Amino acid sequence: MRGNNGSDMAVVGRGAAQAGPAAAAAGARSDGQPAWWRGHATALFFMAPAFVMVTLFFLAPVLITLGMSLTDMATATGLSRWQWVGLDNYERIVRGRFTLLILGNTLFYVAVTLAFNVLVGLGVALLSTHVEPKAGGLVRSLWLLPRISPSVVYALMWTWAAADAPFGVINQLVEPFGVAPRFWLASDPWLIVILINGFVGASMGMLVFTSAIQSIPEELFRAARVDGASAWQIVRRITLPLLKWPILFVLTYQTMSLFASYEYILLTTNGGPGLYGTEVWSLWAFHTALSSYYGNLEFGFGSALAAVLVVMGLAISFVLLRVFRFNDLVAEPRIEIT
Amino acid sequence: MRLRRRRLLLLMAGSASVLAAACSTQPVPSAAPAKPADPAKPTESKPAAPAAPGAATSAPAAAKPADPAKPAADAKPAAPAATATPVVEAKTSAAVSGGNVVKVVAWTIGPDAPSFYRRDNLVAAAETLNKELEGQGSQDRVQVEASFESGGGWADFKQKFTLAAEAKQGPDIVLAGHEDLAPWSSAGYIVELDPLLKKYEQQFADVYPTLWPSVQYRGKTYAIPQDTEARPMYYRRDLLAKLGWPKEMIDGLPDAVRKGEWAMPDLVETAKEAVSKGVVESGKGWYHRPTRGHDHYMFYYQNGGEMQDKESGKLVLVRDALEKHFQLHFDAVKTHKITPENFLGSDFRQWHETVTAGKVMFYNAGTWTWAEWQKVYKVPEQQQWDDVGFMLIPSAARGGKPVTLSHPLVYMVTAGSKNQELAFRLLAHATTPALNSKHSVESAHLAILKTQEQDPTYQKDKFLLATGYMSEYTTFIPNHPKYGSYDEVLFRLLSAVQAGQMPPKQAADVAVDELKAQLKDDVITR
Repeated sequence: MRGNNGSDMAVVGRGAAQAGPAAAAAGARSDGQPAWWRGHATALFFMAPAFVMVTLFFLAPVLITLGMSLTDMATATGLSRWQWVGLDNYERIVRGRFTLLILGNTLFYVAVTLAFNVLVGLGVALLSTHVEPKAGGLVRSLWLLPRISPSVVYALMWTWAAADAPFGVINQLVEPFGVAPRFWLASDPWLIVILINGFVGASMGMLVFTSAIQSIPEELFRAARVDGASAWQIVRRITLPLLKWPILFVLTYQTMSLFASYEYILLTTNGGPGLYGTEVWSLWAFHTALSSYYGNLEFGFGSALAAVLVVMGLAISFVLLRVFRFNDLVAEPRIEIT
Repeated sequence: MRLRRRRLLLLMAGSASVLAAACSTQPVPSAAPAKPADPAKPTESKPAAPAAPGAATSAPAAAKPADPAKPAADAKPAAPAATATPVVEAKTSAAVSGGNVVKVVAWTIGPDAPSFYRRDNLVAAAETLNKELEGQGSQDRVQVEASFESGGGWADFKQKFTLAAEAKQGPDIVLAGHEDLAPWSSAGYIVELDPLLKKYEQQFADVYPTLWPSVQYRGKTYAIPQDTEARPMYYRRDLLAKLGWPKEMIDGLPDAVRKGEWAMPDLVETAKEAVSKGVVESGKGWYHRPTRGHDHYMFYYQNGGEMQDKESGKLVLVRDALEKHFQLHFDAVKTHKITPENFLGSDFRQWHETVTAGKVMFYNAGTWTWAEWQKVYKVPEQQQWDDVGFMLIPSAARGGKPVTLSHPLVYMVTAGSKNQELAFRLLAHATTPALNSKHSVESAHLAILKTQEQDPTYQKDKFLLATGYMSEYTTFIPNHPKYGSYDEVLFRLLSAVQAGQMPPKQAADVAVDELKAQLKDDVITR
């Protein structure tokens, strides 16, 4: 099918070059065959809204961001007194003393939160599908609470829970176990940041994995039990291999969203404590371009940071798509069972 | 079946009304308050807070009815309760009949709740301005719509104004810190006021001359001072007594500091002693500001720091002073343990609760917190006088000069205003001894007018009278468009030093390198 399309396009290309403007305007080729777009008019019609949306809300902002990143636009210049500065902002990123520190924070945050999201999401899905359906449903509903809570409320609850002694629910919970009360957001900022993001992220994985587990034919499990397989062997030999694609999807999707997410960090540690303690790249871009205590927002430099984030995102998507062979995922099955 | 359909209809009707109510909510920052119920009297309306990214907003409780007999600004509404989320409250001046009604919109902010006279004085000024206009035979009449934001943060407020100014939807008057006039005038968001100041010279002759440089940038005046303050070092009289200090010594501490006889090393030693003798817990000998802010620079100035070159206007960094400033903060946490670990970035509300509970020996904060502790944290005034004293920030060494820092908040007239002269004249009418004294007393801010010292309201306030001398020792932060970048580097490094991530010497070197790299010709390092 794909091969045929490719051939058609090649023919159209040659045909259009040879045909005159009149034939092109009529949408017909010189050999009397309908033009390529006529043959795909329905598909194009249905794709048009998505194309417009992607152009308006993804491509255009990316292009504007790239353009702004080449300027010195800031509060002090306004939108009318800025100047082109070439690659100065990118040079500032490369030469910046704290760039590597923030990049390291970003990679650490994405990797650890991702591991938490996928492992906990998978664990909850496996456990909740292997118990009584009602109990499993209840557990999953509870795990959804962080996701359905408004972000600000959820983050504020964590902030209060992690408050310094004598306040803070966490202090009160851990004190009987001999853990010294502390200001958790300052003493263990990554722990809190990862837990806040992790509990929200794990719920998404849990939903995807649960539906995937429930779609595995029951006969496979029955047959395994008849053969004397233990619970672990069933999970290891049947469930996990059949969850390969959902796991890869969740990994890829969450990697991308974690790279761009910063709201819970902003609302809890705000990038601290200490020297960019939990500052990640997207938060750095936000702080630079949109939030300044002394009012001088640096739109140009912030755009350069955002542009680098876009490039990082594209590179990581490319790698993930290649490593996980997503083409195989979306390929048509070799056999069809009717 | 019919019952189910009826339920469905009811549900749909309910949803539609909720949706309609949600859609009809007035957005503020346009500072458009609800229409006055009675056009003949001023009203106080409380629209929803602006939806700034990353900040939760909440609408306050129902509006307190205004006294119909007098303008809203004369009434003393209770200060809003302490809250972590911003609350925006708008007021409209009395409706005017006849003539050409000109609406003047103003955005003001605390963030401390007792500073609501920043808004109310503008509302009150409308009345006297209208009388003046009438007397001059002018057809113009001013109606003021002013909002006051409390409980939120500066960054969100400034972001809101910046975006509104770019979208040409800003107010006529905006109140902010004096340092904002540099970037905002460079961007063309606010206008130069020198021509109008010349025209209405007499109305501003009473302003302390020392305040004018804080509202000037590159030789031009862009703002009118609204208030000023000092940032004292508070100390617990009761805890010093527990430590064995005689009453005369406790009473004489402010004078000893003023004369340079009692310096910062003495403060550190006293705090250490208080910790070692169990008078205060470890880490509660000295609390400085727990968040980003101007206060930290008092300890840089204390050590001989400078921030702006008077001639060129460029930013200045004195490396040795910075290292001493870093060393002080490092030692306080790591060596002497008089300040807690992980202090920078902690919650300001918790800070207030701890100091008002009498658990900290020394703590520096603004004069306005004196009022805030009484009004928001409910400390009885007499108890506060009995237990708490205040002094300048002691000099770095005995024989040196103590310091404090002022951060005048200022009114600016925006470039987008279609009524700049009327907006300016409104500011003139809001800048009077009576109105400014009301603000000073309510919020514990210092006088900006010479005649305020004779104002009966001001004279009754013994705290303001007792702290007035601090203005002689004050310093300012610079008016420079790149001050935000300068502060970003220094504050982050201070945080790193206090967290033990970087020794003070290295942090000072990094600061010099980083500022040179980022600000290039805009900074001078010494």
